[in-house]
Amino acid sequence: MEAKTANGQPPVLSINNLKTYFFTDLGVSRALNGVSFDVPYGRVMGLVGESGCGKSVTSLSVMRLVPKPGRIVEGSIIFNRGERTKDGYKVIESVEMTELEANGPKARSIRGAEMGMIFQEPMTSLNPSYTVGNQVAETIILHQDVNRREAMDRAVDIVGRVGLPNPADLVKRYPHELSGGMRQRAMVALALSCRPALLFADEPTTALDVTTEAQILDLMRELQGEMGMTIVFITHNLGVVAQMCDTVGVMYLGRIVEMADVETLFYDPKHPYTAALLRSIPHVGSTTKERLAPIRGVVPDPYATINGCPFHPRCDSFMPGVCDAAVPAETNIGDGHMVRCLLYSDKGEVEDNG
Amino acid sequence: MLNYIIRRVGYLFVTLIFVMVIGFVIIELPPGSYLEFELQRIRLLGGDLSQAQIKALEIQYGVNDPIYLKFWKWISRFVTGDFGESFEYNMPARTLVFARLPFTIIISVLTLIFSWTVSIVVGVYSATHRRTALDYTITVFQFIGLSVPAFLLALVVMVFAQRTLGLHVGGLYSDQFVNAPWSWDKFVDLLKHIWIPIVVIGAHNTAWLSRVMRSNLLDVLGMQYVQTARSKGLLERRVIWKHAVRNALHPLVMVLGMSLPAIISGETVVAIVLNLPTTGPLYFRALLQQDMYLAASFLVFLAITLLIGNLLADILLAWLDPRIRFE
Repeated sequence: MEAKTANGQPPVLSINNLKTYFFTDLGVSRALNGVSFDVPYGRVMGLVGESGCGKSVTSLSVMRLVPKPGRIVEGSIIFNRGERTKDGYKVIESVEMTELEANGPKARSIRGAEMGMIFQEPMTSLNPSYTVGNQVAETIILHQDVNRREAMDRAVDIVGRVGLPNPADLVKRYPHELSGGMRQRAMVALALSCRPALLFADEPTTALDVTTEAQILDLMRELQGEMGMTIVFITHNLGVVAQMCDTVGVMYLGRIVEMADVETLFYDPKHPYTAALLRSIPHVGSTTKERLAPIRGVVPDPYATINGCPFHPRCDSFMPGVCDAAVPAETNIGDGHMVRCLLYSDKGEVEDNG
Repeated sequence: MLNYIIRRVGYLFVTLIFVMVIGFVIIELPPGSYLEFELQRIRLLGGDLSQAQIKALEIQYGVNDPIYLKFWKWISRFVTGDFGESFEYNMPARTLVFARLPFTIIISVLTLIFSWTVSIVVGVYSATHRRTALDYTITVFQFIGLSVPAFLLALVVMVFAQRTLGLHVGGLYSDQFVNAPWSWDKFVDLLKHIWIPIVVIGAHNTAWLSRVMRSNLLDVLGMQYVQTARSKGLLERRVIWKHAVRNALHPLVMVLGMSLPAIISGETVVAIVLNLPTTGPLYFRALLQQDMYLAASFLVFLAITLLIGNLLADILLAWLDPRIRFE
């Protein structure tokens, strides 16, 4: 019933032409302007891009947590509830997330149980007034048929699993007694307490030092294999992408402009934006005299409308009369490599930026 | 936690000693004494006392003793429960204070409960329904509550209660119950009267606290951990009350210490207007008449009430916010 994906597994998440807009006093901000991608079971999908490109809004849209005045205006988000067996993922029910009431019982039964989320700021993502155990157990009690004591036992168990020392004692501690790295581990424990099929990690290591970052990434990789999790990993750090992800989507102004498996993306980037991003980071072997190439210009104001390809004002390969005339369509250039650029296709979409 | 409470109680006693010393000095500071006040009254009536008689009275009452001696005489009897005599009423100050203090405490506590309950409910509503018609309406009433002085509000409510509701206003009881022994009817009658001072004294505080609650909650609702709570799949109601309100409360507890003196001084003005049997009017009169032992006794007991209120606020804050306990 489901289309199989590259690794022969059904997609856990399938997003098609998703548009999420923010209706503010200043005008309409098109945070997501037609995002489509599938995440196969057991894979880690990376979403990269500069600030404000819509990475976080994508995950919030799927979780149905888009804050007001934002709203999903178009598109579909299919979440495949399923069972994890040793042969792979068996889909039980396909849920169209956009049709659910955001705070209704069905959306809430999926949130926290089958979809988990880890946030960027470990210092503020745990409630300072409650113990770690209380916060982890709260999710367990909510979604599983257990009493308080059993929930606390499970909380101790998962807190131990994420590598926090002395879990029985640690669950009685308050967030301010833990270091940043420990808090992020606690947050991982919280997000994974009900063994979700799909995990969103929204820049989970951005606020941490590199040593702690490496530990948290290792931990997530390990738990992913162990629990059979599918991860959408949001970051602006290309190094982290290379380390964590199987496939990568590069986002620019609410659209995915290039998507490919991680190797292809790093060694054979097609979109000028991807290429520019890669040029802007240092790599091993570069000489000290070599200057890094920043992308010129800035990300445009979200309320602005740009005719044609949204990247054309900053693009080195800008073709006058072409790139500013039509929005490039998604073009498949083989083997799961998608690019939205008129260099590779003359197929433009009807201008719909208003 | 226990250490914390013990330490706080220690501070309380130190503060109390300072309050007693400073308070006594200030009350003694104006020139003259109750004796001169009394002499003037007698002279006005046409009588007089001989110089020798005045001298004898001065010695008897220790009028010209140095201040530290006066303080010592007062404080050493005070701790045994003898607060001295009120010159004006010819009664032990103790009787007068204890007859009125309970009403002040009852009215203050009820006012606090009233303003807390209303401001939490109103604050949560207006923060979660920001920029709706009702939120704007609430804001208007908050600013009215903040800007109308208590004595004026007391007068307005009195007129309203008498003319529109046909209630007997002023005092805490209807005439027939003033000297009656306690009974169920008297209690019901008390409830009928007590809401007026509570609303009047609490209005300013409620308007202020609900404003504080609204802005705190708006801050907290933007915090990451509220998003975390939502991502768990919790009911929105639970996200608000368990995860957000709890963290928005502590500035409210912190201002509790500040709102108690405001309530007690506000109570004085309102009690004079509404003719309430609380400490305020009597304390005020004792200060005017230099009825010093009565004034000093009131001062000490109001200070004790305040200090205990602050202690409770501190303990509540420590219970509410685990980060404070470990300092």
